[in-house]
Amino acid sequence: MDAGRALLLLLLIPFAASPVIYLTGRLSVLRQGTGLWLARWFTLIVYLGMGLPLYTLGRYVLELGPVDLKIGRIVLQMDGLGLFLAVTVWLLSTLVTIFSFPYIRGEEDEEKYYALLPALSATMIGLGCTRDLFNLWVWFEAMAITSYLLVAFYHHQKGALEATVKYLVQSAVGSIMILHGISLVFARTMTLDLQEIPPLMADSGLFGLAAGALFVVGFGVKIALAPLHTWLPDAHSRAPSGISAMLSGVVIESGLVALLRALGTLSQASPAWGALLLGFGAINILIGNLMALRQEEVKRMLAYSSVAQVGYMLLGFGVAMSYGIADGAEGGFYHLFNHALMKGLAFLAVGAFLYALYITKGSHAPLMVSDLDGASKKYPLTAFALSIALLALGGLPPLAGFVSKWQIFVAGAEVRSTPLLWLIIFAGLNSVLSLGYYAPLINRMYRNQPSEVVQAGQPIAVLISLPLLILTLAIVAIGFFPGWMVPLNASAASSLLMAFGFR
Amino acid sequence: MTAGILLLTIFLPWAGALFVWLVGNDRPRLQHSLAVGFSVAGGVAGLALLALGSPDEMVVLSIGGAFGNFSFRPDGLGVFLATIATVIGSLAVIFSVDYMRHEAQLGRYYALVLFFIGSMSGLVLTGNLFLMFAFWEMTALCSYALISFYNDDPKAVAGGIKALVMTQLGGIGLLIGAILSYSYLGTVEINVLLDKAELLPSNVLGIMAFGFLIAAAAKSAQFPFQTWLPDAMEAPTPVSALIHAATMVNAGVYLLARFYPAFAGVPGWQEAVMVVGMLSALLAGLMALVATDLKRVLAYSTVSQLGYMVYAVGAGGVFASQFHLFSHAIFKALLFLGAGAVIHSAGTRDMREMGGLGKQMPFVRTVFVIGALALAGIPVLNGFWSKELVLEAGLQGGATWMFGVMLFTAGLTALYTFRCVWMVFWGEPHHPAHLHDAGPAMKTALAPLAFGTLFSWLLAGSFSHLLEKTLPYHDIHAVSLVEILEEVIFAPATWIALGVVALGVLTWVFRDSLRLWQEVFAGIGQTARQSFGFEWLNQAVVRTTIQVAEDLRNLHTGVLNWNVLAIALTLLVVVVILALGA
Amino acid sequence: MFYLPNIVLVVVLALLGIGIYCILISRNLIKIVVGLQIAVKGAFLALVLAGKLASQIDVGQSIALTVIVADTIVAVVALALAVQIRRKFGTLDVHALMSLRR
Repeated sequence: MDAGRALLLLLLIPFAASPVIYLTGRLSVLRQGTGLWLARWFTLIVYLGMGLPLYTLGRYVLELGPVDLKIGRIVLQMDGLGLFLAVTVWLLSTLVTIFSFPYIRGEEDEEKYYALLPALSATMIGLGCTRDLFNLWVWFEAMAITSYLLVAFYHHQKGALEATVKYLVQSAVGSIMILHGISLVFARTMTLDLQEIPPLMADSGLFGLAAGALFVVGFGVKIALAPLHTWLPDAHSRAPSGISAMLSGVVIESGLVALLRALGTLSQASPAWGALLLGFGAINILIGNLMALRQEEVKRMLAYSSVAQVGYMLLGFGVAMSYGIADGAEGGFYHLFNHALMKGLAFLAVGAFLYALYITKGSHAPLMVSDLDGASKKYPLTAFALSIALLALGGLPPLAGFVSKWQIFVAGAEVRSTPLLWLIIFAGLNSVLSLGYYAPLINRMYRNQPSEVVQAGQPIAVLISLPLLILTLAIVAIGFFPGWMVPLNASAASSLLMAFGFR
Repeated sequence: MTAGILLLTIFLPWAGALFVWLVGNDRPRLQHSLAVGFSVAGGVAGLALLALGSPDEMVVLSIGGAFGNFSFRPDGLGVFLATIATVIGSLAVIFSVDYMRHEAQLGRYYALVLFFIGSMSGLVLTGNLFLMFAFWEMTALCSYALISFYNDDPKAVAGGIKALVMTQLGGIGLLIGAILSYSYLGTVEINVLLDKAELLPSNVLGIMAFGFLIAAAAKSAQFPFQTWLPDAMEAPTPVSALIHAATMVNAGVYLLARFYPAFAGVPGWQEAVMVVGMLSALLAGLMALVATDLKRVLAYSTVSQLGYMVYAVGAGGVFASQFHLFSHAIFKALLFLGAGAVIHSAGTRDMREMGGLGKQMPFVRTVFVIGALALAGIPVLNGFWSKELVLEAGLQGGATWMFGVMLFTAGLTALYTFRCVWMVFWGEPHHPAHLHDAGPAMKTALAPLAFGTLFSWLLAGSFSHLLEKTLPYHDIHAVSLVEILEEVIFAPATWIALGVVALGVLTWVFRDSLRLWQEVFAGIGQTARQSFGFEWLNQAVVRTTIQVAEDLRNLHTGVLNWNVLAIALTLLVVVVILALGA
Repeated sequence: MFYLPNIVLVVVLALLGIGIYCILISRNLIKIVVGLQIAVKGAFLALVLAGKLASQIDVGQSIALTVIVADTIVAVVALALAVQIRRKFGTLDVHALMSLRR
């Protein structure tokens, strides 16, 4: 397959399928028929169908370099970073789709869920492939809008509405800031091409600084830089579990990728961006962990843990951007990928518990920490999967999170500066602190006395267990063979370093 | 061949862990047999490895970059500890067949124990700092999960998390050392670090040296991290014997011994190591004297004996420390498993509720006394020889006043050991019911350990040969067994030490006539019971963190306007910071 | 001083300021959405102004048009949410939306 055509297909398949899925689903609902299975399986087939072009692109990009695609005046280019994001998004979305079959079954507007999911994935893949600053915003905004709709999926729940409104307003404010930043860059450089801007922004003084600040804060809302993170725990905890996994695993990370792309245009305007990210990283790690420490609601705790985990990625990227250290970028991307797996698994496993304990009984009550007492007896696989996810998030070997954190810390040491060494110690201490909320949850699941909720729980569907199993195995496998992911990370890292003028 | 057997010591237990876990808790008999089978096979591989020690590196997986190559090296330091881990591990598993009979969630128990055994082998055999750190954390993970095995008991959960958090805190020291090695030497190979340590800037080497010391202190429950080990005694007793006496806690001593050649030149490092060892030995000895929980007494004595080993490394006695480690692993495992047999049948850990158990449990009494005599340093058991070597190394390589303190602690050891044995096996019976002696599986595990306690010192000569042959950077001179015996017997330090030990024993025998002294020491006893204030410090830190976390939550008001205000203010702050920076 | 771009710039900043201020002080959800809209209008103008300054007024205009489309969708979603909230909560006061906190 021609690489350019593969890129076109990769984006076209989900966008074209989205309305088809909606129509098939809608028609079957209108006829009161049982045809909704068609919409479900069609969604899965769409994702599997995206696998082939993605594979072609992967081989091409890793071996030969970026792939270009021209549609009218719009130029799309998939480089290492774009490929990395596409792989991550594709992997997680496919698993979330399978997971959602039983999870969303029977909910009102089920077909809309399946129609929006491929659209959400496509916007993120497109976001990674853009070469134009304004297009970046368009993809970003499209991703945001799709995710509003998905967060509000349980629109009969007060909590879901409340969370979506807060998410929407904050996100929109951020998006306005990004637009102003784009205006500043455009006015100054007369171009929007990501690769042409950097030299033109050199010595731009306040122009560059203001644009950068607007980008950092604007995208920062989506990335959940503390203190812009307040929408995140609300949205993550009220969305359907599959969407929580997507939000936490790839949506906020796509925001991060967008920020990296946007800041890349300003790389010659100021050397401060890396340091700024390092600062936000430290704040995120601390705030995320402290806020998670005393949460009683499981999904909310996981959401705060995402705030902290983003902080680790920021440390890696910050080091890479300030000092051009490849391990920083590679570690950052590695952690991004691993976080998609780990947090994806954590949210899906919690979703499996929600499914067994509440949803099958028609309740949408949140899962409290105390509900998980003794869950391992009845749900050994799910409890094990959640334990693995939590331990991996805590950075314990032989699991994925340990590997990527190690690489980030190594990158910090490579700078050979005392403040960064302190920053690593600080991050290390926070990893220990994070065990203060992960470990008790695991202990609860392995009690002998099951909680009443668990005792009354229903069995978990096979299609829910399957993605959990795959993700668990992947997390363990990466822990044992950290080399597997290195080519993908390295090519993403070299795209980033190139944008910041280090290669 | 060597590589295959080396990997077997890691992967046989791991495979066992997987199988036992997959079998499921519905078939406990199969679980018991699988666990015993795999752990014994691992033990055999460990023993075979002992004969194959070599300084050569074996690369298993080449990854490069920040992860280095996954390499292993069966040198003397490594194989000895790997053998201890696999052999004592298999004995602990055999013991568990009786001890854990009819317990729920056996699969989790055995899987974690076996996973631990493999990880411990890996930790000591690997030649790569990244892997070492990974195995280091894996052992901590198993330790945590096994301490809180009885998850319904809040004390067990708290103890497990405490152990995890404290060893992880120390782990940061190891992490910093390892990443600095990569940063300045471009590799995480341990031997490259040992080889090129002088090339590092002195301040970097200093950070690494003290980072490793912190890591070792946390892992080996040394001052000021000693508080986690007593709380770890909530674990099932075979786990205490294996992880918290014979193997994992030795990892810290191993770490110091392994990197001694690199750090010996760092100013103040040796002294710091010795002081840490000395303080741990002394304070833990005092705490053991006043504790009433049988397992806690043993835990404190473990801290104290580890202190001896750390002290020996600091004084340059790498061989002495490793030899004491070897002896201690055997006799302390014996003591713990013996205590496990007692606790299993008495149903309590409080020594005040025991007493006079000797008649009812003659086998356990015999082996426990053998272990206790070794702990007290009575000739000719293995603990005697190794402790004398440690003291001698301390006298040669360190200050005399420290030697004095260690001597005093030796007396203290004898005192608390006799107190403990007396309270459990002799004296007034406080337990009405008739107690059964150890079961067959327990006896199978205890007998080899008792045998080892009596005779393991005969291996000292070949041990030193192995160390000399396989450790190119450590500058260890091989000595034959006869030379070691002569050295110990004719050293004046030995006789002084024996005198002090005798004094300790006599103090216990004539305790009733020493009322006056008891009054004097009552105050010390009181502070010792409260862990000399360290427990309070730990709790204060935890309390503060939780309070801060709770207060911080109030900042999440849930009011949309405030959230947007945060965005606007952040923009302002970022702009100001950037403007000031520019 | 009364050079056109300067005037537009002032208007841009004013719209942005008014919009954000409106979001900060309003408790009514509809007013908050209106505030968002005002702020976005500032962004349109800024983009057109940028196009003018970059001598690519056509690019600026087409960008602004795209933003209008995207922004309309956001406004529609926001208002739809407002309708739902009015139905479920019986009020549009954002201070009533405080079940998710801490």
